[in-house]
Amino acid sequence: MKKLLVFLTFAIIAITAIGCGGKAPLTIWVGSESEAFYQQKMEEYKAFYQNQNGVEFPHDIRVVGVDTGTAASTFLDDTEAGADIFTAAHDNLGKLITGSSAVAPIQSQALLNQIQNDNPDSFLNVIKGTVGGVQYTFGVPYVAQALVLYYNKDFVSETQAQSWEGILEAAVAANKQALSLAGTDGFNNSFILLATEKETGYTSLRLYENGVQDNTFGTGDDTIAKLKWAQRFFNHPNGAKRPSDSGWEVELSDKISIAFIGGAWHFNAAKAAVGEDKLGITILPTFTLTSEDAYGDAEAGTLFQSGTFADAKLFFMKKDSNYQEYLEDILLFLTTKDVQEESFEVAANLPAYKNAAEEFEAFQADTLDAKLATAQVRMFEYGIPQPFGFVSRYNTYYYSKGAPDLILDILENKDGEFTTHQQILAQMQIVESLWKTGLRP
Amino acid sequence: MDLENKINKKPRVTSRFLSFNKNLFLNTKDKFISFVNRFKNGSIGTKLSHFIMGAGNFYHKQYIKGSIFFIIQAAFLTLFISSPEVNRTPLGFKSIGNFFTLGTVEGDVFSRTDNSMLMLLFGVVTFGIIAMFLAAYFASIRSAVKADQDLASGKKPTSFKQDIASLLDERFHVAMLTPAIIGITVFTILPTIFMILIAFTNFNHERPAGQVLFDWVGFQNFLDIFSGTGEIAVRFGPVLTWTLIWAFFATSTNYIGGILLALLINKKEVKFKKLWRTIFILTIALPQFISLLAMRNLLSEYGPINAILQNLGITEAPIRFLANANSAWTARITIIVINIWIGIPYTMLMTSGILMNVPAELYEAAQIDGATKRQAFFNITIPYILFVTTPYLITSFIGNITSFNVIYLLTGGAPTVSGYIAGETDLLVTWLYKLTIDQSDYNIGSVIAIMTFIITASATLLSYRRSKSYKEEDAFQ
Repeated sequence: MKKLLVFLTFAIIAITAIGCGGKAPLTIWVGSESEAFYQQKMEEYKAFYQNQNGVEFPHDIRVVGVDTGTAASTFLDDTEAGADIFTAAHDNLGKLITGSSAVAPIQSQALLNQIQNDNPDSFLNVIKGTVGGVQYTFGVPYVAQALVLYYNKDFVSETQAQSWEGILEAAVAANKQALSLAGTDGFNNSFILLATEKETGYTSLRLYENGVQDNTFGTGDDTIAKLKWAQRFFNHPNGAKRPSDSGWEVELSDKISIAFIGGAWHFNAAKAAVGEDKLGITILPTFTLTSEDAYGDAEAGTLFQSGTFADAKLFFMKKDSNYQEYLEDILLFLTTKDVQEESFEVAANLPAYKNAAEEFEAFQADTLDAKLATAQVRMFEYGIPQPFGFVSRYNTYYYSKGAPDLILDILENKDGEFTTHQQILAQMQIVESLWKTGLRP
Repeated sequence: MDLENKINKKPRVTSRFLSFNKNLFLNTKDKFISFVNRFKNGSIGTKLSHFIMGAGNFYHKQYIKGSIFFIIQAAFLTLFISSPEVNRTPLGFKSIGNFFTLGTVEGDVFSRTDNSMLMLLFGVVTFGIIAMFLAAYFASIRSAVKADQDLASGKKPTSFKQDIASLLDERFHVAMLTPAIIGITVFTILPTIFMILIAFTNFNHERPAGQVLFDWVGFQNFLDIFSGTGEIAVRFGPVLTWTLIWAFFATSTNYIGGILLALLINKKEVKFKKLWRTIFILTIALPQFISLLAMRNLLSEYGPINAILQNLGITEAPIRFLANANSAWTARITIIVINIWIGIPYTMLMTSGILMNVPAELYEAAQIDGATKRQAFFNITIPYILFVTTPYLITSFIGNITSFNVIYLLTGGAPTVSGYIAGETDLLVTWLYKLTIDQSDYNIGSVIAIMTFIITASATLLSYRRSKSYKEEDAFQ
């Protein structure tokens, strides 16, 4: 018995030690929802490589589905163990290229040309970063996403869904809440803060414009007026409501509220909550300032279009990958217009390709997926990519230092402390300071 | 007497300290003298063992044992001198230099920056390997000396077979404990030392490993707790205070509630005792996170509890109990109340067992002496329960200080405090999670982990050493 115990102990140690060896294959991290699709694509790529070079692709390729929201952080936790190619939202660029960068710049002219030709200008600005005083392109956009409006067609007509006033009217008629939100963070309040004048596209709001910390401004007249309007919207008995612990899905399915702002990642849950036949999808609505909201240069009657963060998911390459010589060619293949279109059809990934709405056949279909895609593409006109990728701390300042809660206090007029425009302005000065420095003034 | 103790306390501590240092010095001196004598008086093999491990064993024809020691030395020297690279960072002697510099090469977009984190880790690992090598080195000398002594006393030096047989018999504990000690060193002690050392660096989100070098900063991170306007300076006090309040109430409410419930169920008049116990035990059988999420949903704005309150006309609008609460104390009290529901069955279960084991003679003796039921309860039952459960009470308090699930699943630390990561209901441990996992501020996280350890260790030591369970260990045996 004693001999057996000793033998087992040492056998376990030996097996563990042996199990730690081996060379990793070329690894690609993609979103879990697209794992099967990209596995198939890499098989096709191997065949394509063999046709082109007359020899088999010389290495094993492993496609792994990951949570794209945390992929960049996971990669940075241990870059050596990280994938050779991985996917992350564009606003992770700042932390990925801090110091001497953990990701490799794109050098292939063919790939750079494809990126330049296939992507909207807004994306081209956020995939570049400066390391050692030189600007490089680091990411390849292949998926896009923006916020849209989901609504219950039983209560809201297509016309009413065009404006918040229309939705509020529908909510009053049904004695429901006009709007549910997924969260109180800075992403979810973007429909107010990023709203632009419908006619001119103007907004005074600036968030780290061109990557400069001081190019941040949240106290313009129009911003204060927009918040005043939103305050009325949130304080109306049938208006918008702050997210509850119950969750927006419960609020929609229990018909507590009749509309919801969300992204493509909320689509399936929204469909389940409202029902496929009752779910309407459109761009975010407009709103009009009243005399009560007007402030300074922002006059009563001005029509605003709700805005959004219109983001891109990018493929990045690991710096010093053992397979560096193959990576750009793989990315060239994975981000072509054709693969993006197929990705939309098979895995419902909204393409980053700039002319998708006109050129992709699947967009023309009368399906909810197509409506969602069209609404998102249209929202790109009224959105900006999250500008936090330039420097890693911007993301922390914008999201994690309490600014969203201060804005929520304005929207709810907490304890009646934000009744006047001046009180809202004072609060936004604190918010602006948090955005710029992470500290209260 | 107390006054006398107080007066004597300081000199006693000083004398203990001096005595400890004196003993340490004498011990070291003795060991050194014994080492030198061993070298002087040993055989050639023993002398050689000081330079070539296993030489003494070869000298005494213990070839297998000698080979093992020699291989250990060869492997160590190969590793140490060749300094092989793992993840492009060297182990071996180079890692000792790197441990102190934490890297010197700042790369660019095409070349690598030294990975300070791996350099720190490999430095710690190398010191660990050196320590283990030294243990083997001294074992080799001891083995040679023992063979000398065997010969001197007319015995034959033990063969490898005899050594193995001894390891499987009278020294079986050595055979089994060696892998365990190596395992504890590799998987517990070295990572803990690594974590502690991070508190003395500036490894944070601005200096990701492999992208920017980080460096030693001494006690700066600890000093930051007491000065400045940073996260740790402003929020450490409030988070620590709430952590202690939480731990006190979470422990005491569960403890008292559990005892009361156990007493109630144990009452003679209560029928179906086993059924009641089973019902409460069922809540333990359910994974805690499911219970917590269920409670969160029950208390949510559109959950059943708010619906009932509104339907009964008690409230007009839903009450925000948790993350969205208007006041931090609403959320905090709610959490403590939910924790009562989750935690009471544990104490109830344990106390039930204790109550069933209170010696009946004690009650009989009390009855003969004319004690009332109330007197028997306060003078027998309660002291007995307290005596037996004090260690549980202490571990429960410590467990609550480091309780993660309850806060993380119920509020996520919210309501938030503008300008800071730590929310109103964050405990040290959930704050630590946010700082490290979400924000990558490992240095501050490490400081908080160390402070949490100091608090929990002090609380445990102080309270346990002052408890009757410790002082009168044999009383109830």
